[in-house]
Amino acid sequence: MISYITKRLWQSGLLAFIMSLIVFLGMYVVGDPVEMLSEEDWTEQDKIELAIELGLDKPLHEQYLNFAGDIIQGDFGVSFVHNRPVLDLIVERLPATLEIAVLAMVIGLSIGIPLGIYSGIKNNSRGSRIISFFSTIGYSTPNFWQAILLIMVFAVFLKWLPASGRGLTNSMFGIEWAWLSLDGLKHMTLPAINLAIYKICMQQRLAKSGTQEILYQEYMTFARAKGITRNRIIRRHLLRNILIPIVTITGLEVGGLIAFSTVTETIFSWPGIGKLLLDSIHMVDRPVVVAYLILITLMFVFINFIVDVMYAFLDPRIRHQK
Amino acid sequence: MNKSQVLQIKNLTVSYPLDSEKNAELKALDDISINLNAAEIIGIVGESGAGKSTIGKAVLGLLDPPAKMLAGEIKLLGKSMIGLNETQYESLRGNQIGYIYQNPMTALNPVLTIGEQIIEAIEANTNMSGKDSYNFAIHLLERADVSFAKDRLQKYPHQLSGGLCQRIVFAIAIAAKPKLIIADEPTTALDVTVQNSVLQTLIKLSKEEEIAIILITHDIGVVSETCDYVYVLKNGKHIEQGETVEVLEKPKQQYTKSLMASVPLIEKRLHRFSLPNSNSEINSLNLDYLKEERNIEFSSQQAILQIKNISKTFFTPASIFKPSEAFEAVRNVSFSVKRGETVGIVGESGSGKSTIGRMILGLEDLTAGSIIYQGQDLSNISNNEERLKHQLSMQCIFQDPFSSLNPRMTAGENITYGLKIHKLIDANKAKSLAEDLMEIVGLKKEDANKLPHAFSGGERQRIGIARALGYRPDFIFCDEPTSALDVSVQANLLNLLKDLQDQFSLTLLFVSHDLAVIRQMCDKVIVMKDGKALEKGNNDDIFESPQHNYTKSLLDSMPKFSGIATN
Repeated sequence: MISYITKRLWQSGLLAFIMSLIVFLGMYVVGDPVEMLSEEDWTEQDKIELAIELGLDKPLHEQYLNFAGDIIQGDFGVSFVHNRPVLDLIVERLPATLEIAVLAMVIGLSIGIPLGIYSGIKNNSRGSRIISFFSTIGYSTPNFWQAILLIMVFAVFLKWLPASGRGLTNSMFGIEWAWLSLDGLKHMTLPAINLAIYKICMQQRLAKSGTQEILYQEYMTFARAKGITRNRIIRRHLLRNILIPIVTITGLEVGGLIAFSTVTETIFSWPGIGKLLLDSIHMVDRPVVVAYLILITLMFVFINFIVDVMYAFLDPRIRHQK
Repeated sequence: MNKSQVLQIKNLTVSYPLDSEKNAELKALDDISINLNAAEIIGIVGESGAGKSTIGKAVLGLLDPPAKMLAGEIKLLGKSMIGLNETQYESLRGNQIGYIYQNPMTALNPVLTIGEQIIEAIEANTNMSGKDSYNFAIHLLERADVSFAKDRLQKYPHQLSGGLCQRIVFAIAIAAKPKLIIADEPTTALDVTVQNSVLQTLIKLSKEEEIAIILITHDIGVVSETCDYVYVLKNGKHIEQGETVEVLEKPKQQYTKSLMASVPLIEKRLHRFSLPNSNSEINSLNLDYLKEERNIEFSSQQAILQIKNISKTFFTPASIFKPSEAFEAVRNVSFSVKRGETVGIVGESGSGKSTIGRMILGLEDLTAGSIIYQGQDLSNISNNEERLKHQLSMQCIFQDPFSSLNPRMTAGENITYGLKIHKLIDANKAKSLAEDLMEIVGLKKEDANKLPHAFSGGERQRIGIARALGYRPDFIFCDEPTSALDVSVQANLLNLLKDLQDQFSLTLLFVSHDLAVIRQMCDKVIVMKDGKALEKGNNDDIFESPQHNYTKSLLDSMPKFSGIATN
């Protein structure tokens, strides 16, 4: 088990290194920072001085080492637009995204998996068909359209929930959280549901196909022949086995939610990092975009590592692999 | 002694609807009646499709939909089981009736420990919990002859051997002291030496715990060693029943007689299986193609193939954390095969027998040693064309007839596909050649246009043989060619192979785990274990006076069946 984890950790480190190379080279190839930063009336001499100041005169590998060294020390540069350290900007916005992403995933798993297991076991029943019908609709209509419908129904007609903003926040561990106040929770609900619809449908499909595959395994019949009750068979024998693919997808999906909730955050004016990214791209705030890419990459690497460890936890055959 | 009746099945009929509109249905069981007393072991034998497993599932209420019980009565300990709901069945399963599955590796849940799986069965069927059920689990494992019982509870199924897993399944089945155990092919997935000891455990449990056992199997040898009473089924219909000795040795029905004649015997070698309806004559039609180029010297004294000290070592891929590990699949094996001879390699799973064949065919590289084929060392041939010529004259018949044919090509295309690629025949003659080959292996000419799924397992294996024959091979490697087939199909196929061998003077290397098949087919036998050739010799020497202890133990553990009484 320990050798498995160290192996995965090592691979994660390698992955992070390769990704940092790609981001760095991408940055190097695309555009010239000197042209972007210089004013129109600058002379050639001014530009050369700026290039030396930015370290662009050094050989490529040295530039990379500087770049990587800064990142390791937590220095992602300063935003052109906000004139503040980029890391501060991102860390400020991250909790907002995290809280709706986690809420959306919790809703997605807790509704999607039971529905999926039900429709897998009762395949071809009326209930299963209704579930599949709605899951297909939820899966195939665009996210922004669902958001607009949600706003129309719950904010405009019923006036139950607010349609935009984050509401009141309370502080915990020095970070502002919306879920600690009732007003904040109300504001969270619609964007989280908007994000969750996709996740529910996806988990339902995954759990359904997993269930149908596992249901006809001999150990399921044997478990029935042992005289174990139906509920226990589903909880112990079925769930453990279908969780393996679900964990993989969920890991990637959590990453996706945090990194790419841009559309939902924009529609609901949710002040998360997705919105920050969009604003930064608009205003060509390059340090923010680069830092965002690097952090997202590191996050995916980290999530992948967690997923691998969960695998080993769920499936003993992986744990005992040589 | 008047034993109490445990199970009574009366006129049981189970059907699968085939086509809902036309009301067509397949009767998986048709009017079957069975009686079973305490501590008695009855065998239910028959070939695939006989409905054997359906009986077990019907008794447990585990029939897979859309199967339906149409008529009949099942009584357990005098109480009718018809019309029970799922909850009532749950209280019977495990508690009154234990079930043992064919493949222990798939019957145990791979992600739960052995302990979890035994203890949940104990707690579902008794009042025990906590420490008591843990201790009882250890006790059960010991009853089922599992060594190091306490340690095994922590293990997962994939860490244990098939034989151990099957004993664990036994332990689970006896957890609640059931009155009846249904064992569905309990030893089919196991090696012969393991099979024997597992069966001994089963018999012991039956006697000591007074459990009645229904043993469902296709293996006549297992029945003859284990069962008191036998039922023979065919296509869901009752054929014959009676005391084991009576039915196996003096069968009354024609079907039972031919079934028993198909069983390969270990005691004596027959020239062919004496099947009542076998067509032994190959109509010599268009054999010109197959005969031509064959008139090279037919001297039977010449060794066509010499294997000299070959070894094969597999390495696990090295990583930063682990150096690569070596696994010696074949260790220093030598033998030679004369033209027209059949040499058999017998051994349990993992003994390296298939690896030898793969090395001869050039599918695996040699780690050491040399293979001399028709006087030439195969590893020294640098000329690609010449190497190809040799490789084409060596062919293979694969174990699994279901995956060895391309499902998207017709039977005929499957047979001639490779021949066309190597330009051994003209494309316009391919069709007629395929048809001829189909006839040679006992299939119909017109069936060459059908796709593989239209054929049964035995027929597919015949297509595989036809494909090998198309190359006019001098040497055929047969890798367990009949292990996926029913005995009667196996007997027909083995007869066919013998006929073809006579006709085309083929040289066969025959690999099998089944000693009886090797006994019937081979002139010379090599016994392998863990990559080593332990004993080599003529058929009669090996089977009648084995020298090596392992060979003796293999022969001892073979279930004995002496065949139909001749008088």
